[in-house]
Amino acid sequence: MNLTKKKGFARFKQFIPLYLMLIPGFTYLIINNYIPMAGIVVAFKQYNVNDGLFLSPWNGLANFEYLFGSEDTLIIIRNTLLYNVAFIIVNNVVGIALAIFINDVIHQRLKKLYQSAILLPFLISIVVVSYIVFALLSQENGMMNNSILPLFGLDPVKWYNDPTWWPLILVITNCWKGVGYGTLIYIAAIAGIDLSFYEAAELDGASKWQQITQITLPCLIPSIITLLIMSIGRIFASDFGLFYQVPQNSGALFSVTQTIDTYVYRALMAAGGIGRSSAAGVFQSVVGFTLVMLSNWIVRKVSEENAIF
Amino acid sequence: MSKRIISLLIVLVLVVGMFAGCGTGSNSGSTPNKDNDGNAETGKIDGEGYTVNYLYMVAQEGANQQKVAEAIDALAMEELNMHVNLIPMTFGTYMSQLAPMLAANEPLDIFPAMSSSFATYIESQYVVNLADYLDYFGDTLEVFGDDAYCGYIGDFLVGFSQMKERGYPTGMVVRKDLMEEAGFSVEDFNVTTDDYSTFEQIDELFAKVKELHPEIICLDGTTIMAAGAGSSYVDNMGDDFGVLENYGQATKVTNYFESDQFRTLCDIAKRWFDAGYVSQDIVVNQDSGETKMRAGNCLSFVCYVKPNTNVEKLAQTSYETEVISLGNAMKSTNAVNAVMFSMANAAKDKTKAAQFMNWTFTSQKFNDLINWGIEGEDWVLDDQGLAAYPDGVDATSVGYHNDFGWIYPNQFAGHPWTGNPTDIWDQYRTYNGAMEKSKAFGFTFNSTPVANEEATLVSVSDQYLKSLAFGAVDDLDASIAEFNNALYGAGLQKVMDEKQKQLDEFLANNG
Repeated sequence: MNLTKKKGFARFKQFIPLYLMLIPGFTYLIINNYIPMAGIVVAFKQYNVNDGLFLSPWNGLANFEYLFGSEDTLIIIRNTLLYNVAFIIVNNVVGIALAIFINDVIHQRLKKLYQSAILLPFLISIVVVSYIVFALLSQENGMMNNSILPLFGLDPVKWYNDPTWWPLILVITNCWKGVGYGTLIYIAAIAGIDLSFYEAAELDGASKWQQITQITLPCLIPSIITLLIMSIGRIFASDFGLFYQVPQNSGALFSVTQTIDTYVYRALMAAGGIGRSSAAGVFQSVVGFTLVMLSNWIVRKVSEENAIF
Repeated sequence: MSKRIISLLIVLVLVVGMFAGCGTGSNSGSTPNKDNDGNAETGKIDGEGYTVNYLYMVAQEGANQQKVAEAIDALAMEELNMHVNLIPMTFGTYMSQLAPMLAANEPLDIFPAMSSSFATYIESQYVVNLADYLDYFGDTLEVFGDDAYCGYIGDFLVGFSQMKERGYPTGMVVRKDLMEEAGFSVEDFNVTTDDYSTFEQIDELFAKVKELHPEIICLDGTTIMAAGAGSSYVDNMGDDFGVLENYGQATKVTNYFESDQFRTLCDIAKRWFDAGYVSQDIVVNQDSGETKMRAGNCLSFVCYVKPNTNVEKLAQTSYETEVISLGNAMKSTNAVNAVMFSMANAAKDKTKAAQFMNWTFTSQKFNDLINWGIEGEDWVLDDQGLAAYPDGVDATSVGYHNDFGWIYPNQFAGHPWTGNPTDIWDQYRTYNGAMEKSKAFGFTFNSTPVANEEATLVSVSDQYLKSLAFGAVDDLDASIAEFNNALYGAGLQKVMDEKQKQLDEFLANNG
């Protein structure tokens, strides 16, 4: 007994420098992410500045009512969920494909160039992106209606009045903008795969395609799962800029562009109130938390070593 | 609202909560001391070096901002023995910063509040009921007359308005050069809501200009008749859901979006849209008509107008313009209280803050300073007695210049800018005096009991109103019906009933 205890302490002693290095990050997490959680109470309160956060009167679930008061609530939740599912699938598939391609580029300079080029849209402000999309889709001067569609003999489309194409437009825009980030992570993961696997496979006469499906993809699974679970945690939140700026806030498109974040923003734009804003945040967080736990639980059932906790 | 902002708010609130004990406790006991008021009447106020935090709007932060701040501080020291901490904000900053500032009870005494936020501010106790401090507002009450009472929501006096026009009739600002080239003059137009066929005069202008200049967009911008209807053709008493039709001459609250007038105005817009007179992107356009006109290929835009609109638009668009009136002028509460100077709960000494606010409505020097900057550097008096740029200074090189008289306490106390008639403020007074008063003048709807319905209704209106008002729909009647169904589904009837109830009470007490 005594021995193991000592051993435990000795182990701890050995890692003291590492624990010290942990302190700043940990403090940051506590201050920035954990302490503010106490602010959740404001979602259940009728906040007034004189009584402050904790002494304001309780008002039960009244702050949540407006979230569920509209007939469109189901559409909004559906949009948020389905778009995020589509984004997760498309961005991961495209991201992995690009990572494999880029990884096989032999010319080092070109490889760097492609990497940067793919990451660039990720760094562009969404407002700029919205104007790039507008330059394509504008009904008065847009490139699609004036140059591209006539080329194929097609009629102009009232892009900003017609919801038909928007699910596609948003998925493409999001992929174009966001794929670079995932690609980078996958490139790093592929670079970490032991090269001897590939050498052995080549000796056995495996084709490029076989190498990808038999070696690269299985080795990427831990990264894929981590990224997946992290994005599932945010499945009930949406990229506000993408859904608000890119469709130019067009009312006619709300049926396919309204998500929880844009709905909350629009509903509270006029008369905010901290209680209702927090209620929306709490709702998104609780659903996100549940989904993360659920997906991790499923992953653990399927293959335990890949679960992240 | 993005999640990040929400969490930021939560953090802020939390921090406030933690310090609530030190910050707000001392305020709760400060009720106005009416015996201590002897000074206010003689005009001699001793502020005892109290610092007023005064938030106001600016066009942008000029190079002379610091000098103006020092000059105002010196002025207030001399006249009131108070220090002033000026907090200049552009509209963008104001929209994103004010709410967190108020929620955190940050040092702030006086700030402009938007009418759409009054209910939240009162509910969250961000603002002080000025009715308790009326003794200190003697001069202000004199300046405003009856209009001072438009700040009441029930018994709560939210604040005081600005001296400016008291109605927002809709008008169309048209480029003079193109209009004359097409062979029209502003006298040719006599557009009125008594006879909607008069709007066809505008069709003729558009057709002619389009024929001469196919590249010109005849109408652009962010507003049009039916979209701006809220405060122009009907009295909406604070929000668009339930209105008094016919320029506020009705006393029964009705749904404007089911009215014949709404349909007709949308129909006119559809006629323009379908004919290609209007930018095909107008529904999603977010640049103001002024911006579009300055860009050079826009003939006209619709906006609220007032006596010197063309002087103002010359500065904003760099084109000479003419204004075609598109309706009557109505004096409604909303036109008076759209923006109010309110006192923040965070004001440490509410009596002194009230005295300072009262002073801002009367001081000529103060109003000139915040609007035109330092006399001699940013502006000089010209021989007509109007403010003008000094020699060698122009709009691009001036160190401080806002031209925001309409959102400052009392531009009538200050000097008008050159280009205006010298008697412009008298013109304003005549113009305001001649307006037809809405039956609900003085009444403001308190939306707190239906706050959830309001939130949903705003969202529904965002979805449908703009497409309809600009006529960018295929089947007008079907779209209007769909819009109204969605509104009733979001609780329109409940809001209208509540509004009618409050209005009936108001009319019974003031009738």
